Amino acid sequence: MEKILEVKNLKKTFYKNKAAFMAVNNISFHMKKGECLGLVGESGCGKSTTAKLITHLVTPDSGSILLNGEEILGIKGKRRKQFYADVQMVFQTPQDSFDPRCTLGDGIMESMINHGVKRREAKQKMLELLRMVELSQEYAERYPHQVSGGQCQRAAIARALAIDPQIIICDEATSALDVTVQAQIVELLRKLQREMGLSLLLICHDLALVQEMCDRVLVMYQGSIVEEGTPDEIIKNPQQEYTKILIDSVF
Amino acid sequence: MNQPILAVEHLQVCYTGKPVLEDINLTIEPGQILGIVGESGSGKSTLIKAAMGLLGNDGEVTRGDIFYKNQNVTDLKGEELRRLRGPEMGMIFQNTGASLCPIRTIEDQLYETVLQHEKITKQEIRDRAMGLFEKMNLPDGERILKSYSFELSGGMNQRVGIMMAMILRPSLLFGDEPTSALDVTVQAQVVREMMKMRELFGTTIAIVTHNIGVVEYMADKVAVMYQGRLVEYGDTKEVIHHPQDAYTRKLIDAVLRIHRG
Repeated sequence: MEKILEVKNLKKTFYKNKAAFMAVNNISFHMKKGECLGLVGESGCGKSTTAKLITHLVTPDSGSILLNGEEILGIKGKRRKQFYADVQMVFQTPQDSFDPRCTLGDGIMESMINHGVKRREAKQKMLELLRMVELSQEYAERYPHQVSGGQCQRAAIARALAIDPQIIICDEATSALDVTVQAQIVELLRKLQREMGLSLLLICHDLALVQEMCDRVLVMYQGSIVEEGTPDEIIKNPQQEYTKILIDSVF
Repeated sequence: MNQPILAVEHLQVCYTGKPVLEDINLTIEPGQILGIVGESGSGKSTLIKAAMGLLGNDGEVTRGDIFYKNQNVTDLKGEELRRLRGPEMGMIFQNTGASLCPIRTIEDQLYETVLQHEKITKQEIRDRAMGLFEKMNLPDGERILKSYSFELSGGMNQRVGIMMAMILRPSLLFGDEPTSALDVTVQAQVVREMMKMRELFGTTIAIVTHNIGVVEYMADKVAVMYQGRLVEYGDTKEVIHHPQDAYTRKLIDAVLRIHRG
């Protein structure tokens, strides 16, 4: 399988009161097309920073990120805009990731309109996306605070899908949800991955979820990738001390 | 059979006139751990808030009773309730960091908590706090006491919450999702620490959570709530392995487990 995403020697240091903090320390990994890759680790280990680096929300100190073999760091203008369409994110708290003063429908359409889709076509596609994520049409008119967390997360997935991305990064997309709702969202993501050939990067700390969904998993600890393999390999035969603690912590 | 430490009978609770809990019946025996599970909005937190008398202005017990050691707590007011809360019934909140005062140190708030109920010196309070920190494998207790809650991590704050609840040695400890906001590794520590509290002091615990794994590990009995009703209640193993109610089955099915091979 071809590599859709390749990350090489990525580094990011944050400064607080002139003290340096190495959030991401020289990480390299790749993601294959249609693959579901898991990224696990404790809070503050650099998982979310990695996601932000890949999506250009944060600029790295050094390193390289290749999307379909092309360098995407430092690209500008049209190419950069196209790149934003190729990689989309689903965030941990769905309600916070929507503009509270816009309806969910408008939130889903925004990216399409920004990419030059006509309003009427965008609306058509938005309704189609709502169907795809199993929300009825009336939700287009609702505001984020008028729907439940699970419904809002479905809308966030619809929004991520709106501009036909190649990669979706889910940053703890199900951890704020009830287990029964989580099971539905997981099912939805799997269906979409199967039907649309999406590549998923799943950031989470729920090893059971990783084992259920992912083809491969990376374990991060203090800014570095300390272990890599299939979920079964890692869970049944952890090599690193941190990975062992992580596995022992699951009840 | 022991005398129950807490008995809830035909409880109905309303928020602004709308019922959110209907006909809840359950008992907890001394030293038992009860797990309360269910989806968001099913009334789990309301149930323990009703027992603690923390329903606020909008909520009230409209029918039924809650007995703590044969004392009907729904009848208690002001001073009587204040005396009960702390030394008899303690509570750990989901986000201890937010339940503490941001402009006073932990130490300061600790003294206030204890001195409301006991006549002892600050030195004795400090010694007791250090002892608890030690039991929770938390080094650097002095520094924690001198800190403000925002200077501590989520896991630290949560352990401060446990320490503050346990320092009055309550017979019954309520936990409202005390570990939900924590990393799995920290959650595991906090859960083990609560188990240790029962081991050391025989504390009875009622814990609200949506982590079935935690319930299975900790609880002797489990109560499953759905839309304000208690749909299933029984021994943890029985409920988890042979769920009777349709919602319980759906809940148990939705739980992902890791396969360790």
